[in-house]
Amino acid sequence: MKDSCLGRGGRKIDGMERITGRAVFTADMTRPGMLHAAFLRSPHPHARVISIDTSQAMKIEGVKSIITGEHLPINFGVIPVAQDEHALATDKVRFVGDEVAAVAAISRSIAIEATRAIEVKYEVLEPVYSIEDALNPEKPILHEGRRKASNVLRRVFQKYGDIDAGMEEADLIIDEDYFYPGSTHVPLETQTALAEWDENGKLTLHSSTQVPHYLHKALARVLQVRTQDVRVIKPAVGAGYGGKSDPFSHEFCAAELSRRTGRPVMFILDREEVFYTHRGRHPAKMSLKMGFKNNGEITGVDFKVVSPGGAYASFGVVTSYYFGVFMTLPYKLENYRFEAKRLYTNHPPCGPKRGHGAIQPRFALEMHIDKAACQLGLDPAEMRRKNGVEPNTETCNGLRITSVAIDECIEEAVKASGYNEKYGKLPLGKGIGIAGSAYMCGALHGIYQNEMPQSAVQLLVDRSGRVAIYSGTSDIGQGSNHMLAAVVAERLGIEPTDCHVLEADTALTPVDLGSYSSRVTFMAGNAALSAVNQVRERIVSAAATKLECEPSDIILSNGEVFNGVSPDRKLEFKEAVVLAESAGGTVSVVGHYKPPPIGSRFRRQSVGPSPSYSFTAQVAAVTVDCETGIVIVDKIWCAHDCGKAINPTIVEGQIEGSVYMGVGEAFLEDHTFHTSGHAKGLHFGPSILEYKIPTIHDTPEIEAIIIESNDPEGPFGAKEAGEGPQMATVPAIANAIYDAVGVWMNEAPFTPDKVLRALKNKARADKRNAKIGGAE
Amino acid sequence: MTSMLPLPEFKLLQPTTVAEALEMLSANSDAKLISGGTDLLPSMKHGLFKPKVLISTKRIKGLKDISINEEGLSIGAGVTHTSLRRSETVAGFAPALLEACKAIATPTIQSMGTIGGNILLDTRCVFYNQTRFWRDSINGCLKCDGSICHVVQNKQECFAAHSADTVPVLMVMGASVVIAGLQGERTVPIESLYDIDGRDSGRLKKEEILVRVIIPKTRGEFGFRKLRVRGAIDYPLIVTAVRITPDGGRVVVSGIGPAPIEIQEVTGAIASGDFSKAAEIARSQVKPLGTHNVSPNWRRHMVEVEVRRCLEKTSSKP
Repeated sequence: MKDSCLGRGGRKIDGMERITGRAVFTADMTRPGMLHAAFLRSPHPHARVISIDTSQAMKIEGVKSIITGEHLPINFGVIPVAQDEHALATDKVRFVGDEVAAVAAISRSIAIEATRAIEVKYEVLEPVYSIEDALNPEKPILHEGRRKASNVLRRVFQKYGDIDAGMEEADLIIDEDYFYPGSTHVPLETQTALAEWDENGKLTLHSSTQVPHYLHKALARVLQVRTQDVRVIKPAVGAGYGGKSDPFSHEFCAAELSRRTGRPVMFILDREEVFYTHRGRHPAKMSLKMGFKNNGEITGVDFKVVSPGGAYASFGVVTSYYFGVFMTLPYKLENYRFEAKRLYTNHPPCGPKRGHGAIQPRFALEMHIDKAACQLGLDPAEMRRKNGVEPNTETCNGLRITSVAIDECIEEAVKASGYNEKYGKLPLGKGIGIAGSAYMCGALHGIYQNEMPQSAVQLLVDRSGRVAIYSGTSDIGQGSNHMLAAVVAERLGIEPTDCHVLEADTALTPVDLGSYSSRVTFMAGNAALSAVNQVRERIVSAAATKLECEPSDIILSNGEVFNGVSPDRKLEFKEAVVLAESAGGTVSVVGHYKPPPIGSRFRRQSVGPSPSYSFTAQVAAVTVDCETGIVIVDKIWCAHDCGKAINPTIVEGQIEGSVYMGVGEAFLEDHTFHTSGHAKGLHFGPSILEYKIPTIHDTPEIEAIIIESNDPEGPFGAKEAGEGPQMATVPAIANAIYDAVGVWMNEAPFTPDKVLRALKNKARADKRNAKIGGAE
Repeated sequence: MTSMLPLPEFKLLQPTTVAEALEMLSANSDAKLISGGTDLLPSMKHGLFKPKVLISTKRIKGLKDISINEEGLSIGAGVTHTSLRRSETVAGFAPALLEACKAIATPTIQSMGTIGGNILLDTRCVFYNQTRFWRDSINGCLKCDGSICHVVQNKQECFAAHSADTVPVLMVMGASVVIAGLQGERTVPIESLYDIDGRDSGRLKKEEILVRVIIPKTRGEFGFRKLRVRGAIDYPLIVTAVRITPDGGRVVVSGIGPAPIEIQEVTGAIASGDFSKAAEIARSQVKPLGTHNVSPNWRRHMVEVEVRRCLEKTSSKP
C-alpha cells in the first residue's frame, strides 16, 4: 500500500529547468543601470606594489569607479586561523594573476580597457616555485609578518600507536615515493557575483558560491558593515567541486564598487581568471612506508607529504590534516605516523577539490597494498576485504566508525567485473586493478568554532497541500534540493514535486554551513527529518481525532492520510493539514542538526572526524598499447556504500561524475606552470583547450553499484555520495596498468610518454636480470 | 549576457562576388577576410588580430560549390566541414578527406569552419594562443607584439605549428589551390602556401582570396591518422596522411612544425611494402618539439608509429 519515494530513481524536482535553460544563474541577471567590472591582475609572480596611478583610467568615458588595495584593507580567508588574503593587493602580489585593482564601467569592454590604463610600479622580487625553494630559509618569504618567518603555512605531525613496533613486527616493508599532480575543478559556470547596495545601506549579493553563510560573514568583516545589512543569495550554480568554497576577491570588489557608485555591479570572471582563482587540488609529493605481515595485515603506516600549495592559504590548513586523517580507513591499522607540510609558493592558491586532501594519499596507499599483495602472493581484493574496518569501532586516530560496508563494496565490484577470473590471467597489455577507499560525511566541526547547529530546515505546510522548505543549503547541481524534498515528502506521504524548496538566501533561510566536506545529505537531511517529524506529529494527531483511531495507527501515503486499522477511512493530505491548522494554528516548524558530541581521545584531531563515513571499492579494466604507452580504460566498476540511496539516479550520477573526474586526473589533468624561460611561473594554458578535461570520447563505460549499509544516524540511513566515489579511481587504474604490463606508475597523470618510459626501463631491467640469471 | 572576453569592435562587409571582395580588401588597409570565423574570432578576442574591417566570404557566390570536372574534384573554399562530411561526391572521390574533416575539433565547430579556413589556418603555439594579459606578462613573442621566441630562445624564427587536419591529406592527393588576386587567378600546389617560419606559414598576400581547392584524379589508396591528447576538441600532436600506389607513394606529417612535412625518399620502402622502413625514414626526417606533458622523444617515436600504422591501415583497405 505504501508507495515510498525513497529509493525511487528519476528526475530531480528542479531538473527540467536546468535542461531547458530556464534556471537563472547569476550571470543571467540584469538590473537597470547595472555596471560591469574587471580586474587588473599582476603580470609578476612575486613583486612589491610601489604605486598605483588610476588617473588616466578614470578619464576613460564610461568608467565609474576604480578601487585598489587601500579601499579594502581588511584581510580575510575562509579558515579563521589563516586569513592571509586581501581583495586587492595591499603590499605585494604573489602570483601571475593576483588581483591589483578593480574597475566598474558601463560595459565589460570599457572596464577591461580601463584596467590597461592603470599604471602600476612594481619592485620585482624573486619568486618561490619549488618545494626545495619554499623550504629554503634563504629564499624570500611570501607572507611577511607571520609569527615565524617561513614559507611553511602549516606542518602537521601526528603519531598513533607505536610505529617502530609496527615496523618491527612486519614481514614485509615497502617504502616508496609518489607524486600526485595539482588539478583544477573546471566548473561550467565561471565564478560570478552581482552586488546591489541599496538606498537603505543594505547589500544584496547574488553569487555562484558553495558557502553563502561563510561568504556572508566575510563580506560583513571586509566591508565593515553589520551582518544584518548583508544578504547573500545563491542562484542556480553551474557546479563547484570545491572551487566555489572560499570568499573571493570579485565578491568583495563587486560589493565595494556598488557601494561607491550606488549602482548594481556585475562581476563575471572569464575562463582564464577561473584558472587563477583556482583553489584546486594540491600537488603532493609523498613518501609512504608500510609494514605488512605475511597474511596481509597492515602493521604500520609511516606517511610524509609535502605540498607546494600556492600563494594563499585558502583551506590549506585543513588540507594538511586531510592528507593524513583518512589513511586509517578503510583498513585496520594500529600504528600510524604522519607528517604533512603545506607550503606557500608563487602560484595560484590550491584549496579543496572533490575528495579534498584524501585523493593524493589514497593513490599511494592503494598502490602500496597491491605491491604488498604481489610480493606476498596474496589476492589484492581478498587482502583488502579481510582487513576492512568493522562497524562500531574506533580507528587508531580516533575516528568513530558506525556503518561500514567495505567488504560488500569489494565483493560486489569483484563480482560485477569478474576480477577473480581476470586478475593476473589476462594477456599482455590487458589488465584489471582494484582499490578501496573511505570518506567523511560532513566535518564534525564547522569552520569557525561554535556550539550552534550545522544545519537547519524550516517547513511551512500550507492548507493547499503544498510544503515550503526553507533551507540554507547550496544546491550546486548535486541535487540537495531534491534530497530535501524527498526526505520531507517521504515522511508526509506526498510527492517530492509537492514541495517547494527555497534555498540559500541568508535573509530568508536558516543557516546551513554550505556544500563542502560531503556534509549536505547527512546534515541538512537530518535537519529536514527533524522538522518533518514535528509536522507529521501535528498532522497525525489532528487526523487521528477525525478518523477516530490511535495516532500510531495513522498512515500517510500517496497524498492521503489513512486510518491504518480501517483504510477506507481516509483524508486527502490537504484536508489533514486544514485539520492540523485549525487545531493548532499555522503549521510551521524548524528542525536542525548538530552532530553528536563524539569524544575523540585526541584533542588535536579536530579536523577529520565526521558523524559517519562512506566506503568505496572500484575495479578498473585497462588496455595498454606497449608500443605507444597509450592506456585506454575499458571500464570502471564502482561500488559505493552511500548508506541509503534517497534517489538512486542522483547517486549513480555522483558516482559517474566522480569516476569521470578521476579518469581526467589519471591521464589528462595537470595544473602546470612554465618552469623555465621568460614565461617561468606562468600558467601553462589557462583555457579549457589547453587544460584538458576528458570528453565523452575519453570517458570509459562506468558501472555504478549502490551499496546500502543503512547508517544508524544518517537520514533514512543515508551517507555521502558526492566525493567518496572518486577516491579509488586513480589507484585502481594504476593497479590495472601493473596487471597489464608490469610497471608501477608512481607518478600521475599516466601520460603515454611516462608509461612508455616505464616500459622501456622495465625491459632493460628484465634483460639485465635475465643475463644475471643466465650467468648463474 | 555580457561577453566575458569581449570581441573588439569591427565593421563587417559582405560582398557577393570575389571581385567585390578583392576591391574591398584593397580599399581597406586594415581588413581581414572571415569565413567560418572559428579560429579568427577567438584570436581576435585574444588580441592576436585587430582588424577594423572584416570581409565575410559567406555571401560570395560559388565558394560553396562542390563539383567534379576534368580537373578532378573542386571544393569551394567556403564549404563547411559538415557539408564535406555529408557530400556523397566527396565520399566517393576522397574518403580520406572526410576522415580528416571528422577529426576537426567538434561537430559544432565543423558546422561553422570551412575547408578554406582550415587550409589557411593560422599556426599555433603555447606562447602565442593566449590572452592579451598572458602574452603581455612575457612581453609578447616573435609572432605577435614581441621580439623574441620563447620556444627556442635566442632564435629569430618562429616555431608555431601548422595544425590543419585536412592539409596533409590534400597534399598526398596532389591538391592545388586557386587563389584570386587583383591580377586574376593563379593555381599553385597546396604545399606552396606553407613556410618554415611560423609567422608566414599559411598566409596569403593581403589582397588575395583562396577560392577553391582542386583534387586531381589520382590513383592509389589514401589514408589519414590524427594523434591527439584527447578524443575531441583538440589540435593534433601529429597528423599523418599517406598515399600508396603499386609503384610507390607519399607520406606527409604535420602538427610538429610550422609547415607540413613531406617525407623524402620514402617511395621505395612503400613500393616494397616495407612500412616499418618507411616509418623509420619518416622518423629520421622530423624533429618535433615537446609540450608540457609530451616529450620531444615520445613525439618523434610516435611519428614512426603513426606513419607505419597509417600505411598498414591504408594498404589493408578492401
